[in-house]
Amino acid sequence: MKRVILLFFLVLEFKADLVLEITESASKPVKIAILEKNSSSLIGQEIINVISNDLKRTGEFRVLGMDELLSIPINEDEVIQRDWLLLDVDSIIFVEVQNEDNNLEIAYSIFDISYNETEDKRRVLGLPDSLRQSSHYVSDGIYKYFYGIEGISSTKLMYVTRNSDTHKLIISDADGFNEQVLLKSNNSIISPAWSTDAKEIAYVSFENNRAQVFTQNLATGQRNLILSSRSSVSSPAWSPDNKDLAFTSTKDGNSEIYIINLESRKITRLTENLAIDTEPAWSPEGKKIIFTSDRSGSPQIYEIDVRTKLKRRLTTEGNYNARASYLDKDEIIFVHRSKTDFNIAKLDLGSRNLEVLTSTKNDESPCIAPNGNVIIYSTKDGNLSYLAGINISSKVSFKLPALYGELKEPAWSPFLR
Amino acid sequence: MKNILISLFSIFIIFACSSTPVEKVEVQETKTVDLTENTQSDSNDSVVMSDVDLGEAYVTVLFDYDDDTLKEESLEELFAVSRLMKSNAKYTLLVEGHADERGTREYNLALSERRAKAVEDFLTATGVSSFNIEVVGYGEEMPVDNRSNETAWSKNRRAELFFIR
Repeated sequence: MKRVILLFFLVLEFKADLVLEITESASKPVKIAILEKNSSSLIGQEIINVISNDLKRTGEFRVLGMDELLSIPINEDEVIQRDWLLLDVDSIIFVEVQNEDNNLEIAYSIFDISYNETEDKRRVLGLPDSLRQSSHYVSDGIYKYFYGIEGISSTKLMYVTRNSDTHKLIISDADGFNEQVLLKSNNSIISPAWSTDAKEIAYVSFENNRAQVFTQNLATGQRNLILSSRSSVSSPAWSPDNKDLAFTSTKDGNSEIYIINLESRKITRLTENLAIDTEPAWSPEGKKIIFTSDRSGSPQIYEIDVRTKLKRRLTTEGNYNARASYLDKDEIIFVHRSKTDFNIAKLDLGSRNLEVLTSTKNDESPCIAPNGNVIIYSTKDGNLSYLAGINISSKVSFKLPALYGELKEPAWSPFLR
Repeated sequence: MKNILISLFSIFIIFACSSTPVEKVEVQETKTVDLTENTQSDSNDSVVMSDVDLGEAYVTVLFDYDDDTLKEESLEELFAVSRLMKSNAKYTLLVEGHADERGTREYNLALSERRAKAVEDFLTATGVSSFNIEVVGYGEEMPVDNRSNETAWSKNRRAELFFIR
C-alpha cells in the first residue's frame, strides 16, 4: 500500500480550528470563578483560560471574569464569603500549577461559597506538552462535580471537511484545537466511526470509485480494506467489544447487513430482504443491532437480535426514519422527516414516545457524545454544511460553523482516559 | 443542584479521607495518510477506471424522490442503448446511480445503487448480457447541481450511462 505521510502537514493544518458558538444557554448556569492559588504564573493563566473556555462552551457554566470580582483571594483562607454571596457565585475553583522536572501537575479544589469550605480536591498529572489536554481533564472533573455526568472536554471529534475537490478526514480535540488530518483524498469520505478503544477508526472511502470500508490505525496510519468486493461496502460500525464490525454491502446483489469478525474474517449475514437494509448500529451491550430498512415502502428503523436474528420494527411515525443509534438501551436517536424538514428525533422504546430534538432544515448524521448527554449532527445553511449540537439534559444548543468549505459527518470519540 | 451536591459530597469525603485523587494524562499520536499525491491506487479493487475522464454521460435518466422505478419517458432511450449493446457484444456499459442530498448519506448510497441496478435490470430484461454492465452507486456525493431546491434535487436523482469499452 502506497502512502505518503506528511508530518509537516500537522503544522500547516493547525490554524483551521473549529469555533464553537453557543446558540442557546442553560436557563440557570452554575456561576463560578477560577483563580490561581498562591501565585500568578503565565502557565497558570493559560491553563485557567483553557478550563474557562471548556466550561463556557458547555453552556452550563457562567465563568466570571477578573473585572467582575469584588475581591481576589489567593487561597481558601482569604475568601470573603459576603463578596461572593453578593455576586451569587456558587463556587470558586482554585488551581495550582507545578511545572518542573518535566512534569506538569495541576491541583485543583472546589470551594463552595455557601458552605464556606473546600468540597473537592483533585490532581491531574501530565507531560509539559500536554497542557491543553491536562486542562481538559480538570474541566471534566469540575463538570462532573457539578452535574454528576462525565465531562467531555477531554474527548475528541472526528469529522470530514470538503474544500472543492479535497476531502479530509480530521480529528481534533473537543474544543476544535489540535486538528490532525487522518486522511486526505480527492474522493468522498463518509461514515467515519471510532473503535471503542479509540485506537482505530473505520470509514467509507470512494478512492477506488466505489464505496469501500477501510480501518485505519491512528498511531501508525496503517490501513486495511475490510472486504474486497466488486460491490459497494459501507456503513461500518464497531461492536462494543471491538471484535466485530457490522457493515452494509450489495455483494449478494442487494443492500444487506453483515458482521465480520476482525480476527477470523468470518462474515455473517444478518438480513435477507429485497429492500434496502443499511446503517447498522450496535446496542450498548452488543446483543442487538438497529438498522434502516425500506421493506415497508419507506425507510424505517428496525432492531435485530444478532444471535436469534429476530427482528422488530421500532419506528412507525412519519415516512422517513433513518441512521439510528442507541442513546442508551431504552432510547434511540435518528434522522426523522417531519413535514418537509429532516430533523434529529429521539424515540423512547418503552413508551414509543417520539420527540423531535432539532429545528434546522437538513439535519443528518447524529452522533452521541460518550457521556450520553450531547448529540452532534451535521446540518446545512444555504449550500454550506456545518456541525451543530444539543445537550439533552440542559437543552443547551451550539454550532460549529465551517471556516471554509463543508464540515460534515461528525463522530465523537469514546472516553480517552 | 443541591441534591446532587450533597450526594456527591458524601462520595468525595471518602476520597478526601484517603488522598487526593490523581489522574494521569495520555496524549495520542496520529499519522496522516495522503491519497491526493498518488495518481494511482495500488488496490486491485479499482473496478472502474478512476483516472479516465468519462466525459458526458451517453444517457441520463431521472428518478422521483426516494424511488428507484424507471420513468416511462426514460424507456425509449434505454431501448436504444439496449439495441446498440446487442448489436455489438464488445460494448461495456457503466451505470452510475446518484441521489439528491435529502435524507441520510448511507441510505442514499443504497438508493443510488438501486437506481443504477434498475437500469441494469431493464437492459438485461431486454436481452443485454449482465457481464457487459457495471453498476456503481455514488449516493449524494456527486451532485450535478449543488443548490438545495427542487430543481437541483430533481437533476441530482439520476442514473448516468457511460460506454467504457
